[in-house]
Amino acid sequence: MKLLIVEDQLKTGQYLRQGLSEAGFNADLVADGITGQQLALSDEYALLILDVMLPGRDGWQILQAVRGAGLDTPVLFLTARDAVQDRVHGLELGADDYLVKPFAFSELLARVRSLLRRGSSTPQETSLQLADLRLDLIRRRVERSGRRIDLTAKEFALLEMLLRRQGEVLPKSLIASQVWDMNFDSDTNVIEVAIRRLRLKVDDEFPNKLIHTVRGMGYVLEERSL
Amino acid sequence: MSRWSLSNRLALLFAACTAVVSLFAGVLFSRGSEAHFVELDRQLLETQLIGVRRAVQDNHGHDPQVRLDDELSRQADLTLRIKDSNSAQWHGSPIPAPPELPERPGLYTLRDADNDYRVLNAPLYPDRTDSPQLTLLLNITHHQHFLQRMQRLIWLTVGLSALATALLGAWAARRGLRPLRRMGAIASSVSARSLNARLPEAHMPIELAELARSINDMLGRLDDAFQRLSAFSADIAHELRTPLSNLLTHTQVTLTRERSLEDYREALHGNLEELQWMAQLVNDMLYLAKADHGLLALHREPLQLAEEVDILLDFFAPLAEDVNIRLGRDGESLIEGDRNMLRRALSNLLDNALRFTPVDGEVRVRIVDGAQGVSVSVENSGVGIPADLLPRLFDRFYRADPARQEGSSEHAGLGLAITRSIIRAHGGQIRCESADGWTRFVIELPKNN
Repeated sequence: MKLLIVEDQLKTGQYLRQGLSEAGFNADLVADGITGQQLALSDEYALLILDVMLPGRDGWQILQAVRGAGLDTPVLFLTARDAVQDRVHGLELGADDYLVKPFAFSELLARVRSLLRRGSSTPQETSLQLADLRLDLIRRRVERSGRRIDLTAKEFALLEMLLRRQGEVLPKSLIASQVWDMNFDSDTNVIEVAIRRLRLKVDDEFPNKLIHTVRGMGYVLEERSL
Repeated sequence: MSRWSLSNRLALLFAACTAVVSLFAGVLFSRGSEAHFVELDRQLLETQLIGVRRAVQDNHGHDPQVRLDDELSRQADLTLRIKDSNSAQWHGSPIPAPPELPERPGLYTLRDADNDYRVLNAPLYPDRTDSPQLTLLLNITHHQHFLQRMQRLIWLTVGLSALATALLGAWAARRGLRPLRRMGAIASSVSARSLNARLPEAHMPIELAELARSINDMLGRLDDAFQRLSAFSADIAHELRTPLSNLLTHTQVTLTRERSLEDYREALHGNLEELQWMAQLVNDMLYLAKADHGLLALHREPLQLAEEVDILLDFFAPLAEDVNIRLGRDGESLIEGDRNMLRRALSNLLDNALRFTPVDGEVRVRIVDGAQGVSVSVENSGVGIPADLLPRLFDRFYRADPARQEGSSEHAGLGLAITRSIIRAHGGQIRCESADGWTRFVIELPKNN
């Protein structure tokens, strides 16, 4: 899966490439708009990450060229400016998502994965599973090692999200947005508490812990060797 | 013209007015005196005409020639011509007569190169058709000289009075406009350093008082904005100082000697926490800055407040259950507002309420639907907040809990300021009251806006 990063801030670009590479993506980095546009139009990439302010051609122009060439490669914009006009402009031109600096890398990674997943059609699942944890989407029941676990509606939604994106570190802001539809930065520790309560029901009685905290980044559901 | 000073313009207008008025008066006067002279001359000539007719007609043994001469000798500038069908005869003092004389009866005014004349034509015998014609010729040159002198005088008066009013007007205008210059002087003393100068409204003329008030209001707003901006920059610097110095110290200390992998990981985690706190702070500050500049773009949509509050209570439920706090909502209302912004505002209030509610306490949201607007209050049981601290709660970086040190928690102290900005962007107000073991944040939102 190849990604293209067009970012003129050297450090930002390198950190992004390193992070994305380590997350399993093959990322190319260019620092100017003209090369960026040439590469973007080559249709080799599954996703474009564009800075708005670029030398040569700005992010908007690259996006226009890409959409003008009939490509529907997902585009994620990065910008230091959080003007609403910018956001509206970008979405009108066909940008798929938007991140304002400063942002957390975990947030970017989660969005990249969402965008990449959007294109591929997933078959309608009836249940989700990891190790001995099983979530029945139709009967809305959760079992672990055959034992029934009672969850509230939100706990169920939270676990469903973790299971659907198992192995991915999910930042708190993404969880708040997806599970509770709270689309703003909040410094509340509701998510921590919610995860703790979910753990109490899902993990506590079992030696094989599935829900993990990644310090400073978020939470991940995965099976780790004991 | 647009570059002329106000005083000059006023002076010029004054002068023009005076010139027009005095010119009008002068023209009237000169017309009047001319008509008056014509009337005088007519009377004189008609009197003479009667004398001449009598002298010619009443031949009681006297020589009409003698009597005519006698009659005409009393008026030195008068000449008579008697003309019948074939001859003309002149009587009286020999004055130079104009070459062409009108033939028809009536009063005429004539002039030749040097002199002006009034001429009266009349038949000698008014009741006979073949009567010889009398022509009385009066030299009125001295009258005309008088009129000309007078006209010159009038022009002089017009000119002088216009000049005088221009000068006086300029002086008066300068004097009258003195408050304006004073305003200018005060305005020019205003700079970013001294925005507290104000124009003395009470001492201004009525016309300028309004302007002075507007300017003072503007200065007030500028001052306020500037103060906020300065405080804002100072606040940012102050708030960032602690985490920055933590980062510097921590990183340098970590790097001073070789450490275990675990120590490095720990150090990076510590840094990450500081950095996240700073990022959150910067984002919040930017949000507030946008709000301050009226740049929060509201996407208004109809919102069922009860529904929104229930979603928020559901969000906070884990937190509340953790410390056994009861959450409740009553009332409902339909309003127009920005869903995400209002959720953020209410979430800050609920978060705040939960923070200060003791174990086994209660947090309630009360929606009261009024005719004018909707009030939403978020209230929590607990110790309450001293009255003198209430107005400061919405200040940036204000923390009611003194134990909460700056930079020591994930909470930057901007939540309530952001809430207030959002409510204001919706045209509403927020206040806090605290009494009888309850602290209550009351939002008043206007309806149909």
